[in-house]
This record gives sequence, structure tokens and C-alpha cells, in this order.
Amino acid sequence: MVGERKISVFSIVNALILACIAIATLYPVLYITVISFSDTASVIQGKVFLFPKGFNLDAYKEVLSNNTIPRAYLNSIYYTALGTFINLLFTAVAAYPLSQPNFFGRRVFMLGIIVTMFLNPGIIPTYIVVQKLGLTDTVWSLVLPNAIWTMELIILKSFYENMSSQIREAALIDGASETRILFSIVIPLSKPALASIGLFFFMGHWNSFFLPLIYLNDKEMYPLQVVLRDMLIFNSENDAGLVDRAALAPQAVKNATIVLSMIPVLLIYPFAQKYFAKGVMLGSEKG
Amino acid sequence: MKKPNKGRLTETLKHIRRDRELLLLFIPCILFYIIFRYGPLYGLIIAFKDYSVFSGVMGSDWVGLKHFVKFFSNQDFWMLFRNTLLLGFYTLIFGFPFPILLAILLNEVRTKWFKKSVQTLSYLPAFLSVVIISSMIIDFLSPTNGLLNQLLSAFGFEKKYFLVDPGWFRPIYVISEIWGTIGYESIIYLAAIAGINPTLYEAARVDGASRFHMIRHITIPGLMPTMLIMFILKTGSMIRIGYEKVLLLYNPMTYNVADVFSTYVYRKGLLESNYSYAAAVGMFEALVAMTMLLGANAISRKIGGKGLW
Repeated sequence: MVGERKISVFSIVNALILACIAIATLYPVLYITVISFSDTASVIQGKVFLFPKGFNLDAYKEVLSNNTIPRAYLNSIYYTALGTFINLLFTAVAAYPLSQPNFFGRRVFMLGIIVTMFLNPGIIPTYIVVQKLGLTDTVWSLVLPNAIWTMELIILKSFYENMSSQIREAALIDGASETRILFSIVIPLSKPALASIGLFFFMGHWNSFFLPLIYLNDKEMYPLQVVLRDMLIFNSENDAGLVDRAALAPQAVKNATIVLSMIPVLLIYPFAQKYFAKGVMLGSEKG
Repeated sequence: MKKPNKGRLTETLKHIRRDRELLLLFIPCILFYIIFRYGPLYGLIIAFKDYSVFSGVMGSDWVGLKHFVKFFSNQDFWMLFRNTLLLGFYTLIFGFPFPILLAILLNEVRTKWFKKSVQTLSYLPAFLSVVIISSMIIDFLSPTNGLLNQLLSAFGFEKKYFLVDPGWFRPIYVISEIWGTIGYESIIYLAAIAGINPTLYEAARVDGASRFHMIRHITIPGLMPTMLIMFILKTGSMIRIGYEKVLLLYNPMTYNVADVFSTYVYRKGLLESNYSYAAAVGMFEALVAMTMLLGANAISRKIGGKGLW
């Protein structure tokens, strides 16, 4: 009896701790959402905690009524769609030759690829390459310099290697070309792996702020994250941090923008669980 | 003497001809690595030149180690070195136990839906952008209407502007890192726990061990190899600071504790157009990072037989 009692105390304490962790990760997102639907007076008086006070959609109307946010939103969708597609295409195609045990120069290529994981030339030389290629102020500056993520390439290569080679050999005997085999057999069979790494590509592009910050000068091309940064965060280059920017813009409007920017991510979030965990595990097994 | 050579050459040509289609498919990959990974490495020579946009990488004048000497004799150097190392070190030391704890606690939950919900919520922050996380931090800490300051004043404390206080920058950074990474880092440990032999637990239960005992004598020892490897790998990448977050959270008031190599490179290079000097700083950082990573990799291979690749 004593033993059972102990177990239940343990379970309760454990559940409490875990509930606190869950609240700590959920509450900030909930709080932002609630504020975005509340009226300004209640927000300023600090009355809003769990439920919207004075529920209204004014903040959303204001955000959507000017051009900046909708345009940035479309930019983000465009960059993310193109970027994720290029990532998947480049990675899926590059991993295929590397996964063939007898591929010409395989060892040299692999060495050349892995070495780059250790040698990181830094921001400046990469910036100069992008500039010299004339990619600055184009969508390609966000897409091409990271078209292949080495870790993801290695993960996909391993996935291909574990696929049965019999189908490929049979297809080769039937006279199918390598390209055909890749696109009509290998890629369809590796959908789960592509979904896992694709999720990371998607989030990388949607949440990316540094690359557009340095490569895009044209404000009309700014994606959401850069606009958010200008709107939400005091610009340390221009003021000494003495001005509390958090107090300047109306909270509801800022938070409405954040909520809008989180929608795509939160939409895929429940469906992405499986692939997310798998992706983290794949990365750690290789890393 | 010539024949085997010629034989090998024709073998190679045959091999290339056989793989020509695969090689064709591989060309984009080769181009990508040459242009965007090796190109910048070559571009690092501007660290030894006075680079100007008009003369280009080739045409600029050589200046030897001028930029390195300038950097090492600059007092910024020690500040950056200290900041980078401390921020990385604190994140490693304080951040390391939390995912492990979360994994152990989750493993003890018998109610499936609860376990799944907590786990799912715990990696929500991994889906949020650094801009959103930083803005949450700024709002939360805002001296005017931030939640924390509202609480402080409700309990009779004075309101405080945490983000301009140099003493608070590192704790803010480290705590927010823990908050952001606890969930997805625990995935690895949960998988490791799942790999522990269940008969160990059964035997312990028969012997009347409590759950604390089982955690202490079975789960934690079972996690040890994973913990060790993770710790070594994290040490190797310790100085790779999340500079985007630093960039978003710091301000001139906190530069002396917050400025790290990468943010300095960004300011000097891209904002002040001191390309060569910034490239030299970046190169120094890359060398330190590479040494640490290779060292960690070597140690991890020696201990666990498992390296980075």
C-alpha cells in the first residue's frame, strides 16, 4: 500500500512539472493570439491574460488594409515555395548518384562534400560570391546559396542506399534511363524521407530572416520576417535601445501580424509531428 | 610500363561512359559545391588583401596579415572572444540537462494522450522564427507593459528594463535557448530510453525498486552513452552562437556582453563595408570552430566509435 501511494505522488508531481513545461511553451503563442483580438484599452491596462477582452478584429483589418504586410506575405509564400522546391529537387537528384556504390568518383565527391561541413568561410566571402554573380536583390540570392543542405543530402543518400536495388536493376534491364528510374521509381518510393527533410526546408525558408536582410535592398521584396523585424524589434543600429519600442506600436496590431505569420507553420504543425521527430532522429543518427 | 597505365585510363573512360547519365545528373550538385561552398573559401584570400568592390578579389592589393594584426591588437578582440565563449559555454552547461530531464519525466508518464500532448507542445518553439521568438522576449520583458514587469510591480518590486542591462543579457539568451530547444532535443533521449532493455525494469520491479530507483539505476545509466556523445558534439559546436537572436536582442547598451564574432563580422563587413577586415575576423572564427569540431569528433570516435560521419 505504501508503495502504491508513493507511485501516485510521484505521478502527480511528474504530471505537474510536465504541465508547467507545456504551458511555458504554449502560453506565449496563446498570449499573442489573445492580445491580437483584444481592444487596446484592455491591453494597456494589463487586463488580458487568457481570453480576449473586448473581442474585435480591428487589428487584423488594420494590418490587411495597408500594402506592406500582404505584399510581404506574398513574397514569403513565393520564396518559400520556390526555395523548398529547389532544395528538394537538388537534394533528391544529387543523392541518387551518390547512393550508387559503383558511381564514378563517389569517394572523392563524398569527401569534397563532407569537408564543407567543417570549413565555413563565413558571411563575407559568401556575400561577395552572391554579389559577383549578380544575384543580390533577386529571389535567387535566397534560394541558390543554400540549394543543398549537406546533412540532408547525406540523410537522403543513406535512405536511397537502404532501398532495394533489385527494382533499379530490373528497370535498367528493361532499358529505363537513370533519369526515368530516379523520377518514376526512386523519388516516389522515398516520399516519407522527402517529407521529413522538406519540412525542415519549408521552415527554414518561411522563418528565414538573415539572408533576405543582407541580400535584399528593395523594401518591396522584403519577406514577412524582415518586415516583422522592422516592425517589432528596436533597430539596434539606429537607437541606443533607450526607446522601448515594445510600447510604441499598438500591441494588437503587432500581435495580429505575428499571428498571421504563424498561420502556415501552425497549420502544418499537427501534421508535421511524425516527420519532425523522424527528421530530428535521422539528423542525429548521421550527426 | 605504358600498357597498364593506358589500361587504367581506358578503364576510367569506360567507367565514365557507363556512368555518364549519373554524372550528368550530378552536375548541378558539383556546380553548387564549387560555386557556393568552395568559391567563398577561395574568396577568403581577401582577408589578406584590401578588398574593394571595384578591383575585385583578384585585383585588390595584398596586405599580408595587416587585418589580423589589427584585429588581435584591438581590444574588441578579447571582448568578442570572451562573449562568444561564455555565451556558448553557458548555453551548453545550463542547457544540457533540461532535454534529458524532460525525456526522463515523459518516459514515466503512463497516460498516453498526456505524454503525447506534452511532447507535441514542447517542440512548438522549434517551429517559430527567431524574429518571433525575439519579439516575444522583448514584449515579455518590456518595462512599459511587459508581462514580467506587470508581475514585478504587482508584487511591489520596481519595474526594470532588462534588455538594456548588461547583467541580464546572458541569462535572457540562455533561458530562451533552453525554452526553444528543450522539446526537440528530448526526442533523441526519448529514443535512447526506448532502446533500454525492458527486462531490466521488470527485474527491478520484481525486486521492489521504486520509480526513483529505476530512474537512477537503469534509465540514467542507460542514457549515459547518448549523453556523452551529445555532450562532446555540443562542445564541438559550442562557439556557433545563434547570432541571429543576438542580432535581434542586443543594442549598444549591451554590446560589451552580447557582441559575438558573427555579429561583429556583420556590422564591420556588411554595415560598414570593411570587407577584408570582417573576412579576417570571420576566418579566425572559422578556424577556432573547425579546430573544436574536429577535436570533438576525434574524441567522440575514440570513446563511442561514432563520429560526425
